[in-house]
Amino acid sequence: MRRRVAIHGEEAEINITPMLDIVFIMLIFFIVTTSFVKEVGIDVNRPSNAPVQEQKMSEVVAIRIDETGLISVQNREVDIRAVRANIESELATKPDASVVVISDRNADAGLLVRVIDQARVAGAEKVSLAAMAR
Amino acid sequence: MARRHAVQQEETEINITPMLDIVFIMLIFFIVTTSFIKETGIDPKRPEAETAYKQERGNILIAINSVGEVWMNKRKVELGQVRQMIEQARNESPESSVVIIADEKSATGVLIDLMDQIRLGGVSNISVAAELEGGG
Repeated sequence: MRRRVAIHGEEAEINITPMLDIVFIMLIFFIVTTSFVKEVGIDVNRPSNAPVQEQKMSEVVAIRIDETGLISVQNREVDIRAVRANIESELATKPDASVVVISDRNADAGLLVRVIDQARVAGAEKVSLAAMAR
Repeated sequence: MARRHAVQQEETEINITPMLDIVFIMLIFFIVTTSFIKETGIDPKRPEAETAYKQERGNILIAINSVGEVWMNKRKVELGQVRQMIEQARNESPESSVVIIADEKSATGVLIDLMDQIRLGGVSNISVAAELEGGG
């Protein structure tokens, strides 16, 4: 009788091998598909086409990029390395001003990103992007 | 003698419970961290920037190459298709934001048109990919 009870107890054990198989397959699937690489980038504000209140030009620091890659801050032509200092001095006189980058459609995107980056380094919190009319 | 043999065999069975614990923890970890990024199919030269930072939620990637072609999901797409594809991608993962990988030499006009299309598709969190200055 005792012997029989023991056998019965052994039979009642759940076989977990199929579950283990599935868990391992899921584990391998997720290990393979996981990609930890995150893109590095900068945020860009693009004013939407919806009607917005016009910003007064006196409260805006405008940076223009023309099609040959010439940069001008408030209508003064400057070098890419001088952009930061120029924006800093503009922001010092107008602390609430927002920075708008107005780029020609044919200008290089790399230059645009560098200008936005320099503006951010100079302390502008929100840099908007606008396109010149076609 | 036979009885004794049986007892010994039962004792030599390996206890797999700790291994199972670890496997389950790894499984949960990988499920949580997986974010199915869809590659664009091309690898443009990213511009350099000092203030660039990791885009944690950026898992919709769109690339523009140096001649202004738009690539998404490993194939070339037209600008008009982008809006629909963004809406579709947003349905799959509503929390995601868009990262545009624009080549240094691509025209700004394409980038701005693309941003308009993305915004029309319902995603307002847009960033432009950059490389951290100084080999980051």
